Amino acid sequence: MDLNNLLMEFSLFLKLKKQEGCKVASFLAHDNIPEELLDAAGVFPLRLMFGGNDELMNMSHDYLPPSTCAFTQSMIGLFSLKPSQYQFLDLIDYFIVSNHCVSDICGSEIITKYFNIPRLNFYLPYTKNQNSLKYFKLELIDFKEQIEKIIDKEIADEDLLKSIKKYNNFKLKLLELNSLNLIGSKKLQIIQTAMLYGPNSIEMISEFIEKNKQNQQKSKHIKNVILTGCSIFLNDNIIELIEDAGGNVVFFDTWIGNQYYSQTFDNETLNSISNPYDLLVERFKRNRLSDHSIPNFLEYKVTRIEEINRIYKEREDQDLGVINHIIKFCDHFSMHSTYFKEKLQKKGIQVLNLERDYSRANRGQLSTRIEAFLEMIN
Amino acid sequence: MSLYADEIIRFSSVLKMSYNLIAGRDELKRMKLREKKHLISVALPFSDLIFGFPNLVPVFPIRMHIFKISKYLSYLGSASSFFGWDNVSKFLGFIKNAGIEEISKIIDEIIDDVIETLNQKYNEMYDIGVERGISTDFCFGLKTLVGMHVTKMKNVSATMNYTIRCSAWNKYSESLKSIDSNVKDIWVDIPPRNIGNSMELLEDNIKSAIHELEKLSGHSYSDSALREHFKLTNQIRRDYKNIIYEIGASDFYPCNPATFSEILALLSISFQDYNSNAKRYAENIHQMINEMRERIRKGLGMDVSKYKKILVTPMFGGWEPKTHEIIYRLGGRALYADWDVLRLLDDIPITNKTDPIEAYADFIMNATENGIGCDNNVLTDSYMRVAKKLSADGLVFNQLFGCHSISNCYRLLKEKIRRNLEIPSMYYTFNRIGENVEQVSTRLGAFMEMVNG
Repeated sequence: MDLNNLLMEFSLFLKLKKQEGCKVASFLAHDNIPEELLDAAGVFPLRLMFGGNDELMNMSHDYLPPSTCAFTQSMIGLFSLKPSQYQFLDLIDYFIVSNHCVSDICGSEIITKYFNIPRLNFYLPYTKNQNSLKYFKLELIDFKEQIEKIIDKEIADEDLLKSIKKYNNFKLKLLELNSLNLIGSKKLQIIQTAMLYGPNSIEMISEFIEKNKQNQQKSKHIKNVILTGCSIFLNDNIIELIEDAGGNVVFFDTWIGNQYYSQTFDNETLNSISNPYDLLVERFKRNRLSDHSIPNFLEYKVTRIEEINRIYKEREDQDLGVINHIIKFCDHFSMHSTYFKEKLQKKGIQVLNLERDYSRANRGQLSTRIEAFLEMIN
Repeated sequence: MSLYADEIIRFSSVLKMSYNLIAGRDELKRMKLREKKHLISVALPFSDLIFGFPNLVPVFPIRMHIFKISKYLSYLGSASSFFGWDNVSKFLGFIKNAGIEEISKIIDEIIDDVIETLNQKYNEMYDIGVERGISTDFCFGLKTLVGMHVTKMKNVSATMNYTIRCSAWNKYSESLKSIDSNVKDIWVDIPPRNIGNSMELLEDNIKSAIHELEKLSGHSYSDSALREHFKLTNQIRRDYKNIIYEIGASDFYPCNPATFSEILALLSISFQDYNSNAKRYAENIHQMINEMRERIRKGLGMDVSKYKKILVTPMFGGWEPKTHEIIYRLGGRALYADWDVLRLLDDIPITNKTDPIEAYADFIMNATENGIGCDNNVLTDSYMRVAKKLSADGLVFNQLFGCHSISNCYRLLKEKIRRNLEIPSMYYTFNRIGENVEQVSTRLGAFMEMVNG
């Protein structure tokens, strides 16, 4: 399905939801938003996961300096310009301001203020220790109370547990999809669509898996890579550039990808923790690879990439290349990029730090860099 | 002739503070090697906890560098150890008054060298930071801090890190481990909001950091030592605010406005580590306000009533140091008050709290909630508060290239200023010292025309 059709269908889907009395809460944050709490309250969580272009970025400059993360610029541009296929943005009832990064804070504040969308707050602690887990729980309770005010009723624990299980099954299904040997772009398209629709798309994923189980293919001529760093958003052509250059992403180690759907509970955990808020805290605790967290993010990330590479090497007898995708002015991935590359290259894993914004003009340069990297890795 | 030298030498406190800032290396070396003290790297005004331990020394890392200062400043430093800084200052003033041209020129060079050498060092650190791999997309402040750590981190035993809303800052703090993994990183995680029992959590996080400092120091934490330090720094904060508001907002200055701005800039930098000696810093800043008052009382200085008050902010992450000179030449006076905007000049409330940790948590949470914190609306209100308190005639916003945090609030701030204060405001962009002086000058020229009506 092409992007326009996808967005058109999504628009219809959202309108139907609204007609059913569902509220829509949107957010920029890439991680840790407890979408289950929204779902349990009958609020649809709409994550903003759309790529940008020159026009959208330029539109944001009325509000922010151009040295702001290109994704945030583009999202502000979307609200400002509202291209026809994005009219569903008018259906948003609430916007969640969070502190995944400072661009999330500033961008979300701008969207709520200048586009008149009522604001919900959900902030995160920065470190991972007992106190930050306690703080995370405070935020969950505060968030719950904010939502309860909107819907004018309490969110029952059973409903939240039900939603947690629903999202858990959804993520497990995406993990199943992830294990298929398919060309990266095909996989990514389903992952993106699924994450846009949420668990409503579980049947679509199942059908896709069934249909493609038999079509799995390996090609010795393709150079396989891990994509890490910033996500590839809808309407972004970077995956095509990688594939056109003879590469294939076998592992999306990004928020739109494994970072999202690997955050699951096993049955034992689901059955042993009866308080649903404690389950969400537990997930936050285990989410060591969240790029929001400090002070050990880089260390965990490097270890994780090594692990993925080791498993792949055992199976395929060759190393994976690593493309570290950095959206311009992204604090989280840009700050560590040099050290990330050095640490992995010391271990024999080749890394391309691919920094870019959404301008059309840099397409040629990106292709050249990707081609050169892929030539080098084998 | 130097714009600053004639004035600065009249303030022995300023000479002392400048000397401690750029000639502190030997002292730090002595503390580390002879006195076996541990140096701890700090940036932003978050050094207070370290002062709770007798053998721990906070240091803003640029101070570990050798500066290409004039040999004469070293002589002055040596002279001060015999005669005291007050006498050195008086002697220099006498020479200037006597009009002995050759010597007067040397004094000009010394003072100009202090400023110039500091700026050169900042740019040098910027280049080293970029060479080491920090992306040019980050702000001047972070690039220079990376440069400072690449060159001098080997001398410190730990880095003191506080989490704030700026994700680049938090990630930079984490990245220091990649520069030298042997250096301990000590963290204070500040909850982003004051909800539920988050104050208790913050207190506990402070205690954990203190525990790490205890391990490093070998000394046990003492309530009374920290309490005494907080009392001292509250005095520093009050003196600092008096310099900004009592002197800065008045119509008669103890020196010309450019020199006054230069002193405010010096305070902004040195406040981060109190030049590694809070007691000395407290004495210096107290003497500074007294010297200023004394000169004003004697009618020494300058009537600045016709010079428009321009709040220039934010500058702590890097700014063009020529700004205040340009504003002065255009008939204005630049005022720097970043730490108060960010609520880091508020008192640590030890008078109404028995536990100093609780008081410090209160102070930090107040800064988070009302200043440096997570909300642009609150932050812009704080800018407004300071502009109002100074009765500023205009506001110049330093839009720091690569700053994704504070620079993003300009549109909101501009609207509030126009609506509530009815004073003009403008912004200019800054990336590196000296890179854009012409543009800054042109923009300030147009702006000052508007301010001057």
